[in-house]
Amino acid sequence: MDSETVAQDGAAPTTVSVVIVDDHGIFRSGLRAALGPVIRVLGEAATVEEAETIIGATEPDVVLLDVHLPGGLGGGGAEVIHRCARRGTRSRFLALSVSDSAEDVVAVIRAGARGYVTKTISGPEITDAVRRIASGDAVFSPRLAGFVLDAFGTAAVAVDDELDRLSARELEVMRLIARGYSYKETAKELFISVKTIETHVSAVLRKLQLSSRHELTRWATERKLL
Amino acid sequence: MRPPLLRSSDGVIAGVCAGLAVHLGIKRSWVRIGMAVLTLASGAGILLYAWLWIFVPTAADRAAEAGRQTGPAAFMHGVGTGTLPDGAPAGASGQTARILGDRLHSDPVGPLDADTWRERTLRAGRREVLVGTALLLAAAVLVVQLLGVQLDWGFFVPIAVVVAGAALAWSQLDEVRRARMMNRAGAGRAGGTLRLVAGIVLVVTGVLVALSSNGSWTLTMATLVAVLAVLAGVGLVLAPWGLKFWRDLETERAARVRETERAEIAAHLHDSVLQTLALIQNRADSETDVLRLARAQERELRQWLFADPGRDPGSLAERLRVMAGEIEDLYGHPVAVVAVGDAVLGPAEDALAQAAREAMLNAAKHAGVAVSVYLEAGPDTVEVFVRDRGSGFDPAAVPADRAGIRESIHSRMLRHGGSSELRSDGDGTEVRLRLPRTTESPV
Repeated sequence: MDSETVAQDGAAPTTVSVVIVDDHGIFRSGLRAALGPVIRVLGEAATVEEAETIIGATEPDVVLLDVHLPGGLGGGGAEVIHRCARRGTRSRFLALSVSDSAEDVVAVIRAGARGYVTKTISGPEITDAVRRIASGDAVFSPRLAGFVLDAFGTAAVAVDDELDRLSARELEVMRLIARGYSYKETAKELFISVKTIETHVSAVLRKLQLSSRHELTRWATERKLL
Repeated sequence: MRPPLLRSSDGVIAGVCAGLAVHLGIKRSWVRIGMAVLTLASGAGILLYAWLWIFVPTAADRAAEAGRQTGPAAFMHGVGTGTLPDGAPAGASGQTARILGDRLHSDPVGPLDADTWRERTLRAGRREVLVGTALLLAAAVLVVQLLGVQLDWGFFVPIAVVVAGAALAWSQLDEVRRARMMNRAGAGRAGGTLRLVAGIVLVVTGVLVALSSNGSWTLTMATLVAVLAVLAGVGLVLAPWGLKFWRDLETERAARVRETERAEIAAHLHDSVLQTLALIQNRADSETDVLRLARAQERELRQWLFADPGRDPGSLAERLRVMAGEIEDLYGHPVAVVAVGDAVLGPAEDALAQAAREAMLNAAKHAGVAVSVYLEAGPDTVEVFVRDRGSGFDPAAVPADRAGIRESIHSRMLRHGGSSELRSDGDGTEVRLRLPRTTESPV
């Protein structure tokens, strides 16, 4: 079976192509080794410019993107996403960082990354995260869920479409993820399907990216670390 | 060893004699008498005094310099108090200067201890003493004149005016130095300029009057205009040079601040990261040791890099983070804390933290895997969840004599009006602690 046709069909691909963008050579090779066999690394980049070129040339399914990168206008990972978006790339971005700073996380998520994980993540976990991102889902680490809860507040709102607040169900999902539950465990806990969890998480991601409430930015700059 | 020659800040005029006395290890009064005697020798004492005034730094100057040399601490201190990074170093070294100055101050060297009381009186009445001396001189002059000695007022008054003007301008030397260290913006700069202008006016007037004491008014005015023209010309010529000098000074200051910052970072990396890397190389064969070292170092570095100076060290979230760090060090399994909201650490919150610690400890000890801790401090309740993905256990099967969960977690929470719940299955164990909010605490 041709893996590329499957990927184009939009179903869960058996092979996912990725590009690793990180200015740290040791980390790049470590990550390459940790990724499972279903992931094919198309290339690596160390700066904003290199990243833009190689992503444009190879069009990977997923870009593993470091938040802090040299080059460009100093915007790091968020700048790479902006540049690629302007070129109309179809690649999806998963942010990787050692930084705990809410400022960094929120900047890269609002730029368009579909997930955020810390660099201490294990090989199987990152492989799973990459597959999830490739199939269009969002990947939330407990810490990112904590950020979201802190930024949006823990009081639920009745209207689902409200961009500045989370619905009761979304709150429940975020809470469980912050507590260290996987999507599967969260689904079991709430008696709903994993697919529904993924929908909720994607909705939260959309709110995080689109919410115009100025508190979100101010909140992020105020919290250097959580 | 002989103390360094520094002008002390508690002298009568500029602290030259006091500083000299400390340096030579003799009584101040002897130095002062010596100066007076030298002054009689055609004013040599005054010249020596002025020379020392200009070239000997004050104790505060020296302290500021020392503060700059041991800069990192002062710099970090400045940052820690939340001032802007730009202004911080100046403020910090000013503070250091003040602190060191005070220390030198309240710490008179050896034999001078007996003089402390008198010094304090002197310091308090320094201005009064100067004014009194001036009044005494005036009185003496008047008495002399009353006794019939003819004084040439046309000669004395201009001289007095020139001296007053010079004193006014020169007195700035110390003030300006001090102001620069205390506060770069120089709140007192306007006052300083005023003083300088007043001094110049007085000196120029005095010189003019002395030179043209017998001349006409028009001649005086002409001379005045000529003098002003010359001064303006000199000013015009020197202005670019002065500006350049000032700019160089600023650049040098900025460079020094950067250097200080770099040195601070280098020192920190050397003390922590390089040491840990060396340790890791030594223990490369023990995986748990390496893991533990790496985690501990990561936590420490994170704390140093991202620590929010405004964060309350006595808060519940901070307490949990510290506890998680300790348990990580003990067992080598990562304990990740995610906090949403925060609470002040009252007795009930402390009990909650203790119970959470017990839960983390159990998880790290028995499950032997990564532990997730989640704190949510809402307006009504504070909740803590401690979860691991170990193999789980049957709570009912735990022997009744094991106090761990029952006493340390459950009873402790009950005593403070809270509750606890334990769930364990094949996927892991989760301890849930709930505490109703009693004290109004900032989030």
